[in-house]
Amino acid sequence: MNTSKPKSNRAPVGSVQCENTTLNLLKANDFVAKAIRERLPEMLVINICSSPGSGKTTLMQETGKRLAGKLNMAVLVGDPETERDAVRMREVGINALQIVTGGMCHIEAQMVLQALDHINLEGVDLLFIENVGNLVCPAAFDLGEDYRVTVLACTEGDDKPKKYPRMFLTSELMVVSKADLLPYVPFSVDAVTKDARDVNPDIEVMAISSLKGQGIDEWCSWLLGKVQEKKEALVTA
Amino acid sequence: MHEISLVRNIFRTLEEEFPGRVEQVRTIRLKVGLLSNVQPILMQNAFAAVLEDEPRYAAAALEVEVLPVLIQCEACGNTTTVQQYKFVCTCGTPSKNIVQGEELMISQVVFEDQ
Repeated sequence: MNTSKPKSNRAPVGSVQCENTTLNLLKANDFVAKAIRERLPEMLVINICSSPGSGKTTLMQETGKRLAGKLNMAVLVGDPETERDAVRMREVGINALQIVTGGMCHIEAQMVLQALDHINLEGVDLLFIENVGNLVCPAAFDLGEDYRVTVLACTEGDDKPKKYPRMFLTSELMVVSKADLLPYVPFSVDAVTKDARDVNPDIEVMAISSLKGQGIDEWCSWLLGKVQEKKEALVTA
Repeated sequence: MHEISLVRNIFRTLEEEFPGRVEQVRTIRLKVGLLSNVQPILMQNAFAAVLEDEPRYAAAALEVEVLPVLIQCEACGNTTTVQQYKFVCTCGTPSKNIVQGEELMISQVVFEDQ
């Protein structure tokens, strides 16, 4: 069995000293996530995750259009390369900033903290962090969000939640996207809901189509409600 | 995929916690919860790779213990081992009260006594 100790240069172990520790290797990220929360106490922050191509950016575009005039929204979007997503969002008037991760497969809290200095957040009620398309790594990184939303397109498998349990375990809402395609694919919203609730019994589920409008009202009501809740909680605190 | 950066993080953390003593480290024991998605064999490979670059740490060995996911039920108080990501207590109540399984930590460092 492979071990990493080369026996030839191990010093003889006459006596040893053990130090018991609990050194959390992710503490750096958690520390920064806490700093983000403290910096944005009034803003609702939502971390949106999904596989690549599930429709996160399109949902952002549609949300921006629907919420214009109702609340002030901004988006930080992460991709390994290019600014394409931020450009798409700006084209429909959204205040968007691209985080280019340079090959990293997920956004870390440090990147969000740095990005906050480069985006105008004055008067912003709702900040989306559109994560890199990936259902694995983002699950482990707290970005200082209030809610984590995982988008799963109906062109994906309805057996996905248990395959990526940590992502669904750490999300409060699963958005089934591209619902206009449901008649043409073997995907079952009931099946994916059951699968997700096996992992996370509290997860909410919503089916939407950004292109045709199904469920978008419900999605916007959910957002407006959560923004309101956060503001009210601040007042009573 | 992140094992190399995790290994580098291990040494960075040890340098911060035990400045000047890291070259005397003989064993690093990690406790990683099943939810952390860390694979022991990949960690060992990454560890070996990093040691090639950092000969001053060459006498160190890594041991990785994977901890099962445990939930504690709010209804009956029992602690259950989560099987196949079903977060349900033996009494039938679903629970997300994870008391073990998300760890990614150094639990023990063994130094050569000098």
